[in-house]
Amino acid sequence: MKRSFPWRPTGSEIRNLRQPGYYARFSTLGQKKAWDDATLQVVTQRVERVPSIRFFTPQESAVLQAVIDRVLPQDDRSEDRTIPILPEIDTRLFENHLNGFRYEDMPPDQEAYRIGLKAIDEMARDRFGRFFCDLTVHREELILKSIHDGTPDPDHHIWTQMPVHRFWALLMEDCVTAYYAHPWAWDEIGFGGPAYPRGYMRLENGLPEPWETDEERYEWSVPIDSLSEIDEDGSPAAHGSLQGHGGSH
Amino acid sequence: MLTGKRDVRPHRLGPMQAIDASMRTYQESETVDYCIVGVGSAGGVLLQRLARAGSRVVGLEAGPFWDTERDWVSDEKGAHELYWNDLRITGGTHPLALGANNSGKGVGGGSVHWAAFTPRFHPSDFHIYSEDGVGVDWPMSYWDLKPWYELLEREMPVAGPAWFPWGDAHGHPYGPHPLGGVGDILVRGCTKLGIRTVAGGPVAILSASHGNRPHCIYRGFCLQGCKVGAKASTLITHVPDAILHGAEIRELAMASRVSLGRNGRVDGVVYLDREGREHFQRARAVILCGYAIETPRLLFNSACPGHDRGLANSSGTLGKYLMAQAGNVIAGRFDELIRLYKAPPAHAMSEEFYETDPRRGFARGFAIQTVGPLPIAFAKQMVTAMRVWGWGLRRVMMDYNHWATIGVLGEILPWEDNCVELADEKDQYGLRVPKVTFNLHENDQKLIEFGKKKVMEVMWAAGAKQVVQESRFAHLVGAARMGSNPASSVVDKFGRTHDIPNLFICDGSILPTQGSANPGLTIQALAARTADYLVKQREFIFSTERRCLEEPPIRYDLSPPFTRFKGNPRSA
Repeated sequence: MKRSFPWRPTGSEIRNLRQPGYYARFSTLGQKKAWDDATLQVVTQRVERVPSIRFFTPQESAVLQAVIDRVLPQDDRSEDRTIPILPEIDTRLFENHLNGFRYEDMPPDQEAYRIGLKAIDEMARDRFGRFFCDLTVHREELILKSIHDGTPDPDHHIWTQMPVHRFWALLMEDCVTAYYAHPWAWDEIGFGGPAYPRGYMRLENGLPEPWETDEERYEWSVPIDSLSEIDEDGSPAAHGSLQGHGGSH
Repeated sequence: MLTGKRDVRPHRLGPMQAIDASMRTYQESETVDYCIVGVGSAGGVLLQRLARAGSRVVGLEAGPFWDTERDWVSDEKGAHELYWNDLRITGGTHPLALGANNSGKGVGGGSVHWAAFTPRFHPSDFHIYSEDGVGVDWPMSYWDLKPWYELLEREMPVAGPAWFPWGDAHGHPYGPHPLGGVGDILVRGCTKLGIRTVAGGPVAILSASHGNRPHCIYRGFCLQGCKVGAKASTLITHVPDAILHGAEIRELAMASRVSLGRNGRVDGVVYLDREGREHFQRARAVILCGYAIETPRLLFNSACPGHDRGLANSSGTLGKYLMAQAGNVIAGRFDELIRLYKAPPAHAMSEEFYETDPRRGFARGFAIQTVGPLPIAFAKQMVTAMRVWGWGLRRVMMDYNHWATIGVLGEILPWEDNCVELADEKDQYGLRVPKVTFNLHENDQKLIEFGKKKVMEVMWAAGAKQVVQESRFAHLVGAARMGSNPASSVVDKFGRTHDIPNLFICDGSILPTQGSANPGLTIQALAARTADYLVKQREFIFSTERRCLEEPPIRYDLSPPFTRFKGNPRSA
């Protein structure tokens, strides 16, 4: 359900977009004839075959979907161009795809999600007397921001069993992994996508390949009362990176 | 063509290279000369050298024997299977993220997903205790290893600047790569601050074709496995030659125990196949190449009467002195477009701060290197560095193409309390999983703080409008260190365990210290040197207790094809 919309300085709400971002005419999937077979198969399957929910109960799914809608909101996207995140997390947990490690003070990922979602729902009832999914966007964000800040409000006994900042890192890692693995997200941020066997020939000065497009920027603002805008005065997390470190050095 | 095992199609390693010899296979009842556990950076080199010298060798690899055209993808998420994803427990004051980034699974191991920066260690790295009173000295010097550094730079081969001015200054066999957007930022920022830089390498990525391997196409997916075959991994540089010369590689074979036979010698390796069935490969000598976590884990899991603390652990140092390097990533946002996903992530660097400078108030130093995170990795970095979520996250990511990222690669000293042990939990094979503990000490923290600030200065000097940073670590070495004293180390300078004359360790775990150079080249150079040592020792390894500590002659005749006629420019 789309219910919180960014807006332009002209006052119009940004909603029902096929493609957010500054690269309106760019499509990575439009380039798939230039991809190798193995990559084509993996990416096509990601787009066309969304897995069904096998790990979470319907109740848990509802809470997690509501959480995902706020920690990685897609209200500006049209329904048919919304990137599935919940099914990706569900599949990882159902098939027990690990990322190679678990912090000694954390339960297994599956249990972390189960108790974390339970805590979030109970926090909603303690503070606002309603299920998390039934809260207003603003109230959902109040609860999630308190978890993001590492100071759950209201506090909940689960957070004495499981470090709140590690749960947050786990949740964010899974959400961004699902979202930014999707070609519609690549289109949004102007990432070229799969690049074999063709490769790149314009390496410097941010120049586009003949099949890429230049950026066309425009001003936009997050929903007026959103708590998830960039905190320009914020400092980096004191504990450093808690996610998997793949893809750097 | 690999007969009988997989497809009838050729086993492809890049678009133009294939293994077209049939692979020799040994029966388990046959006793081979060497059983090598782990066919990664070191294991691949050892397998190739020993096979070429005529030894009967079997390599056990826990992961798959990749066909790069069929198994690898030009996709960030799809590359997940290249890593060691099995459960490990991590703790300490600064717990290490494991799996992706610091260990591989499958033939080629970590060299499949390394960024392929190939700086050598500096001469000073081999005696930091003597010079600075920290860490420990190696039982060998840079000059002992130098001939193998040069040889491996030609075998991979390495592309880079004509003159690399730090440490033992030298040039590279292949020319440098063109500069990408991130390298341009690094050079620009460093130049403003008077910091010397090199660009276009040193990286083990082809800037010109090499045999059946085409040169780089600058697609930026180095860390996802190079489908092009331009980036060196032992899978494509050494394994084909190993197969051609009669080595056998058993894929999906997880070693569970090194078997101790009579007379205090090992007699083979117990392993589990893909269906979980137990097998025993007899061997006259065993070489462990499982890297800094799996090697000590296997030795702990091989504990037996007389070796209750783990095999080859009479010193009690097995599993200790584990090291990771500081790997802080500094991200700068620029008004202009960068498009950091193009060009190899590794392509420009500086080692100006590598050596100890007493004025800084800490021992040792760090390197400055380009990194090139693709969207998922970058999003995770921003979640930490800027603590973004929700709409803030979406907005930052829409500026992906405006960011450049530069890494600190800082030396963290070897500490006894940084270690690998066994946890109580068991994995899918029924083996106890490793538990890794990591704590930063005062010198490490001062070094990281200084390095982080220096690279942030570089980013501002390059013209960034916003600079943020994420604390993290890179690489893993140590935990079975070499030394001349059997009471304080696990192996001698050739990787031979002090306790068991026919059990060797040859991988990143034997490094006593790590400098601030990426460890891949050093690991492979050490493997080639150990191979030449074994070839020279021959039967003595299998039948006597004799421990010769003379440097072996280098065997140029054991290199893979296309190695000859390339140079290593140097001043002396």
